[in-house]
Amino acid sequence: MVVEARFDFAPGDAGEKQSAGCSQSRFALAFKPTLSAMKLSSLALVLLVSCQATGGDRDGLSEEPKIAELAAGEQGVAMFCARVLTVDDEDRILSPGLIVTRGGKIEYVGPPIEVPAGYERRDYKELWAVPGMVDLHTHVHTGGWGDVNAATNLINPELSASVAMVPANPLLQRAASSGVTTLFGIPGSATSMGGFGLLYKARTSGGYEDSLIADPGGLKVAQTHNPDRNGNAVMRSWAGLGWLLEQINDDAIAATESGRFDPQLENLKRVHSGELPVLIHCAGAEGVANTVRMWRINYPTRSIVSHGSFDGWKVADFVAENGMPVNHGPRISDYYSSRTGRVEPTAVIYSESGGPNFSLNTDSQIVPQDEFFLQASMSARQGADSYQMLRAVTIHPARAFGYGDRVGSLEVGKDADIVIWSGDPLDPRSYVEFVLIDGEAQYDKQLDGQWS
Amino acid sequence: MTVALLAQQSMKALSETFVALALFASVATAGGDLIAVRVGRAETVSQGTIEHAVILIDNGKIVAIGQDLPIDRGIPTIDRPNWTVMPGFVNAYSRFGLTAQGGAGSEPHKLASSEIYPRDAVFEDLLEYGYTTLGLYPPGNGIPGQAVAIRPVGDTIEELIVRDNAYLKIRLASNAGSKKMLRDGFAGVDKFDEKEAKRLEKWEKDKEKADKKKKKKSKKDDDKDEEKEDDKKKEEELGDFVPEAPKDNVLPFVQLRNGELSALFSIRTASDFIHLIDAIDEEEFTWNLRVPLRDDIDLYEVTERIGKLEKCVVVEPRLTFHPGTRRVRNLPLELAEAGAKLAFIPRSDSTRGYRDCRFNIAELLGAGLDRDVALRGMTLEPATLLGLEERIGSLDEGKDANLIFLSGDPFEGTTQIEAVMLEGRVVFGELK
Amino acid sequence: MKLNSKTLLFLSLPLLFSFSSMASSMAPLTFNAPRVLLGDDDKKGEDADEEDDEDRDRYLAVIGGDVYSGNGSVMRGASILAKNGIIEEIGHDLWIPEEAEVLNAKGMRVYPGMIAVEASPNIVVSTSRSADEGLGDLHVHPVDEEIDPLAVFEAFADELLEGRHSVEDSYDPFSQSLVLALSSGITSTVSNGTAIKLKRGEIDDLVMSENSQVSMAWSSKNPAGRRSLREKFEAASSYLRDYRVWEKRPKSEEDTKAPSEKGVDKNVVAVLTGQKRARFTSNEQGDLLSLARFAQQYEFRPIIVGCIEGWTVADELGRAGATAIITPRDRRDRNEMLNRESGSTIENAAILYEHGVQIAIIPSNTGFDMGGQSGRDLMHLPIEVGFAMRGGLPESAALDSVTVVPARLLGISHRVGTLEEGKDCDLIVTDGDLLHYQTFVQYTVVDGSIAYDKQKEIFFAHIRPRATEEVFDPGEEVAEDVDEAVVEDSEAATDESSEDSPTDEEGADEDSEEESDEGGDESEEDGR
Repeated sequence: MVVEARFDFAPGDAGEKQSAGCSQSRFALAFKPTLSAMKLSSLALVLLVSCQATGGDRDGLSEEPKIAELAAGEQGVAMFCARVLTVDDEDRILSPGLIVTRGGKIEYVGPPIEVPAGYERRDYKELWAVPGMVDLHTHVHTGGWGDVNAATNLINPELSASVAMVPANPLLQRAASSGVTTLFGIPGSATSMGGFGLLYKARTSGGYEDSLIADPGGLKVAQTHNPDRNGNAVMRSWAGLGWLLEQINDDAIAATESGRFDPQLENLKRVHSGELPVLIHCAGAEGVANTVRMWRINYPTRSIVSHGSFDGWKVADFVAENGMPVNHGPRISDYYSSRTGRVEPTAVIYSESGGPNFSLNTDSQIVPQDEFFLQASMSARQGADSYQMLRAVTIHPARAFGYGDRVGSLEVGKDADIVIWSGDPLDPRSYVEFVLIDGEAQYDKQLDGQWS
Repeated sequence: MTVALLAQQSMKALSETFVALALFASVATAGGDLIAVRVGRAETVSQGTIEHAVILIDNGKIVAIGQDLPIDRGIPTIDRPNWTVMPGFVNAYSRFGLTAQGGAGSEPHKLASSEIYPRDAVFEDLLEYGYTTLGLYPPGNGIPGQAVAIRPVGDTIEELIVRDNAYLKIRLASNAGSKKMLRDGFAGVDKFDEKEAKRLEKWEKDKEKADKKKKKKSKKDDDKDEEKEDDKKKEEELGDFVPEAPKDNVLPFVQLRNGELSALFSIRTASDFIHLIDAIDEEEFTWNLRVPLRDDIDLYEVTERIGKLEKCVVVEPRLTFHPGTRRVRNLPLELAEAGAKLAFIPRSDSTRGYRDCRFNIAELLGAGLDRDVALRGMTLEPATLLGLEERIGSLDEGKDANLIFLSGDPFEGTTQIEAVMLEGRVVFGELK
Repeated sequence: MKLNSKTLLFLSLPLLFSFSSMASSMAPLTFNAPRVLLGDDDKKGEDADEEDDEDRDRYLAVIGGDVYSGNGSVMRGASILAKNGIIEEIGHDLWIPEEAEVLNAKGMRVYPGMIAVEASPNIVVSTSRSADEGLGDLHVHPVDEEIDPLAVFEAFADELLEGRHSVEDSYDPFSQSLVLALSSGITSTVSNGTAIKLKRGEIDDLVMSENSQVSMAWSSKNPAGRRSLREKFEAASSYLRDYRVWEKRPKSEEDTKAPSEKGVDKNVVAVLTGQKRARFTSNEQGDLLSLARFAQQYEFRPIIVGCIEGWTVADELGRAGATAIITPRDRRDRNEMLNRESGSTIENAAILYEHGVQIAIIPSNTGFDMGGQSGRDLMHLPIEVGFAMRGGLPESAALDSVTVVPARLLGISHRVGTLEEGKDCDLIVTDGDLLHYQTFVQYTVVDGSIAYDKQKEIFFAHIRPRATEEVFDPGEEVAEDVDEAVVEDSEAATDESSEDSPTDEEGADEDSEEESDEGGDESEEDGR
C-alpha cells in the first residue's frame, strides 16, 4: 500500500504514462543516481526492500494501522497533507499523506487513516510535509556575527560556543520559518581549533535548555584558508598549523591512554574516542586532502569535511574513498580556482563522488540562515538531482553528525520536527506554512504572518 | 685591409668610444670595397631560401644575391659553407634603454628620438643577438608621440637614427576620452584645412581685386605717381599665396592623411579593436596594431576582422590562455591564418628577451605557426612597420647589408649566432 | 575600409566556441585557429558584394516554442518571425522565407528578454580583464603596458565633464559579463541613465533611451534638501501654470511675454510634464509616506528604489502611482522601539502590488558573482523574482517585474518588454518555466540575432546539455580523469534525454512540483 502510494506521486507526471517498471518517479529513483543503466533492476530492488521494511518495522501495519489514543496530558498533532516527503531510506513519498505526532515524537507516517479524538487535527490538503532541515555549519546562535571566535590562541579545545548562544533570536526565528530546525552552532575559523559547538534546535521561543540537543555537540577545526591568514596567528604556514593540531591531538590521546585528567583536553578526548564528531573547515584540493589525511587516516575520528570550496572537488574521490562525509557550502560552485572555463558544479561533483552523506551548509550568515534551502536549489540548478539535494539538507547532515536516528527524516519514533510547505521546498516560490519542533508549534503563517 | 678585419678590430675597440668613432669614419671611407659572402644557405625572407648563396656587398649595400654566383678573383670572400645567413632582426616596438615616463594626453608631435642618450651605448648589447634595427616608441597612454628607428651602433643621435617619424603611437581604449583624442586629431586637420581654404579664398579674392585694379590702372596710365606707388606697395604685400604650416600637434595627422606617417594603435582587448574601427570611421590612413598578449585576452573575437584588413600586429611570441581556462591559444597563429601580418617583439624588452626571442618564436612554430611567417615577423614586417621596407628586412639587391650569420636554422636551439653584419660592417663575431 | 554594423554582425555571430570539434586535428596544445569563425553567413558575405549583403533582409524564425508574450497571451507551439531585428509575425503556420535563420524552440518556452533596471558598470563598460597579473615578462613595457586602474571610471568622468553619454564609446561587446548577462536571459540594461541593448560583437545602435529618469533625494535626514526640492517643484509647477495660460492667450495679447524660465529647474518641469520620471532611493516608512504625499500633491509618479518599508504605506504609494524597484530579499529588522509596523517583509512586493504600485525587481548584487555563492546576483534574476512570489506576488506581475515594468521605467516599452509584432526581436528560449530554479536559458536573441547559445559557450554547456548536440568540453586537457567522466555522462545524457525529453508538454504546466520532478530526472541522468 505504501509502495503504491509512492507511485501515485506526481499525478500527471510524465512517468505516469509509462509502464510501472519505467515509472521513473524522479524522487523514487534518485538515490541510485550512478546506476542509470540498471534503473530497472534497482527499482525492483527498491520495491522489494521497501516492502520488507514496511512489513518488518510495523507488524500488522499492512492490514490495519492504528494510531494510539493520547494519554492524559499528552500533546499530539495530526496533519493531513497533499504530500509527505519522508526522506526515509525508502524515499517514501505519500500523496496524500498523514503525519501524526505524539509527545514530541512522530507517531505515524503513512496514508491517511482514522485519527483518534484528542489529536489536534490540521488539514493541509494542498501542502507538503517535509522534514525540518539540518544545517551543520552555522554561526547564528549568537544572533549576529559577533562573539564567534576567540582569536588569541590558535588551539582552543577548551572553549565552547554555547556560552554565546542567544536562544530564540530573530535569526533563529527566520531559520525556523524557512524550514531549518536543527543547527550546529560553531566557533569561527580564524583559529585552528576554535572550540566546541552546540547542536540545537531553531526554537522560536523558550530558553537555552529547551533548544539544546547536545553541548558539546562536536568540535570545530579550521585546517586551512583562514587561520593561516589571521593577523595574530603565530604560525602562518599550513605545515605549522598542522603541527599544532597534531600536537594537541597527540596530547589528548596520550592523556586518554595514561588516564590523566586535563581540563583543556577532556572534550578533545571524546573526539578521539569517537564519542563526538569534528567538523573541519577546509578548502582547495590540498586543504581538503590534508584534512582527510589528518582527521581520517592519521586520527580516525568522526570527522566531516566542511566547505571543501574552490578546487577542493578535485580530490572528491579521495575524500569518498576514505569514507569522509562532505558538508559543502556556502560556495557551491567554482569558476576561478578550477580554470576549466565552466562553472564547476562542486556540490554535484561531491554528491556524486560516492562518499557518504553529502550535505550542504550556509555558513550562516555568509548565506542567510533562512536561505538554506536555496543552497539545495542552486545545487540542483547546476545539475544535481533535486531529491538528492533535499537529502543533503535533511537526513544526510543528520547522519553525518550521528543524529540520523533523531532528526532529518519523517519516520516513526523520530523527533517531530516537521515543516509544512506550500510546495517543492527547493523552489524559492514556495513558502513555509507551519513548523513543528519536537511536536510543538514554532511558527504558523496563519497566526504569525509570513516571516521569510 | 678588408672591411672584415677593420670590423673585427672595431669589435675589440667597442668599449673605447673614440676609437670606435674613428673606425666608423674609416669604414665609411673604405666602404667602396666590394666583398662577397658565400654561405650554405640564405634565408632571404622576400624570395625564399637560397642554397649555396652568394651575396655581393658594396658600400654597405647588397648589390647581388643568388645561388652560386661567380665571384671575381680578387674580391675578398667570406666563405662559410655550413652557415646560414638571414636579414638582421628588427624589433619595431621597444623602449630599450629609454626611461622617460609618459602622460596620458595628446602629444603627437613628441619624438622618441629626443629621449635617446647615445653615450649609454646600451643598444650595442643587442647586436650579438642579431638585432640590427630597433623601433623606439614614446611612452604614455593617449597619443604619446612618434617612434624612431635606430641602428644599435653609434655615438651620436644622428649616427643611431635610421628614420625618425617611424610611426605615430596611439593608445586606443574602449572609452570616450581615448576615441575622442583620435577624432580630435583629425578634426584638427579639418579645421586647419578649412582655415587654409578660407585664407586661400580670401587671397584669391584679393588677388582678383588687385588684378582688376591693375588693369584699370594700366588703362588709366596718367594716374598720379603717388597712388601708383601705394598700389605697388599693396601688391607687394599681397604677394604669392604662402600656405601656412600646420601646428606641431596637427602636422602628424596631416601626415597620416597624406601617407607620410603611419599609426600604430596599441590595444588591449577585442573591444578596443571595435572601438578603434568606430573611432577611425571613414578616415583613411595606414595603421597597424600593437596587442600585448596577456593571458585571458579575447583577441580571438576579432582576429578575422583584423585579418581581413591585412593589418600588421605587433605581438610577443607567446601562447595565451583562453579566458577563464588553462586551454592554450596560439593567437599569433590565429592572426596569421586570418590574413594578418605579424611583427614579433621579444617577450621581455631586456637583453634576455632579445636573446630568447627566436626560441620563443620556435615554440609558436611547434604549435603550428608557419616558418615563413615567423621569419618575416622578425625582419620584413617590423621593417615595413617602421617605414623601412625599402632599406632593410630582407636580403635583396639594393638593401642594407644587415646580415646575421648563424651556425644553422635560426629556430633551432643549438644554433649559434656566429656573426652579425650591419650595413656591411661586422659588428659582432669574426669574419675573415 | 569601414566595417559597418552588418558586417560586424555577420562576423560576430558564428560559433564562437565551435573549434572544439576540430581541435583534435591541431597541435595538441592549441586551439584551432578561428577560421571556423567564418560560418556560412560569412562565406556568403565574401562571395557576394558587401553592399548587397547589407541590403539583404535578415530573417530569424524561432519556431515551435510556447510563446509567453508578456502581454497575457500564451501561444503553444507557435513561431516568431523577425525581419531585420523586428518581430514581423507571431503565430502558427507562418510562412518562413528560405534564407531565414531557423531556431528550433520546439518543446521549449519563449519569453521576452529580461531587462535589468540596474547593473554594475562592468557588465557593459569595457574594463581590463586580465585576471592574470603574474606576467613578469610583459611588465618590462612599463608605461605602455600598464593597465589603467581607472579605466572603468574614465567613461563616467567624461560624462560628468562633458555632459554626454559614452556608453557607446566604452561598451565591451565581447566581455565575459556580457555573455553571462545574455546567459541569464537579460537583453537590455541601464548604464548611467542610458538604456542599452546588450548586443554582442558590435557597438552600433546600442542606446535605446537616455536620461529617462532624474535622480532626486528625499530624506528626513536632510530637511533642507527636502525643502529645496519642494521649492523647485513649486516653482516649476507655477511656471507651468503660467505657461499654459500664456499658451492659450487670446489673440489680443499675442505680444505678451512668455513666463520667465528663470530659476525653474528643467528636470523638474520634465518630471511634471511626464517626459521624465523622478527617481528616489528611499526605504523608511516616514520618508516613503511623505514622498507619496509629495508626489500626489504635484501629480507625478515617483520611482522608488529600495522601498523596504513600502508595505507599511502601500496605499499611499499606490495612490501616488509609484513604481518600486525592489529586492525582495532585502532584510531590515523590525524596530521594536516603534509602536507600528516596521522593517522588511518578504510580502513587500505582493502588498505593494495589491495597492497598485508597479514592481520592478533587481537582485542585491547587480553584477555577476562567479565565486560560488549562487543565487543572489544578476545571473539569478528569476530566483530573486521567485522570492517576490514566495511573498505572494502573482506570477504575471512577477514576470512583468523584469520585462514590461523596467521597459516602461526606461521609456523603451514601445520597443522591448513584450513579444509583439513590430517590437524588437529580443527574446529568450528556455528549457522550462523561466521562474523555476532549474530552468536554463538555452538561447538569447537580441535584435533578431542569436547572441547566446548555451551549448556553444563554456560556462554552462555541461549542465544538462541539450540533446543531440555536441558539448564544448573545455577541460579535456586540464584534468584527464575528471573529463573522461564528463564525456561519458554527456553521452549518456544525449542518449537518454532524447527519449525522455526534459521539456515535455507537461513541463508547461504551472505546477511547480512537476517542474522540480522533471528537473530532478534530468540531472540524475546528466550527471554534472
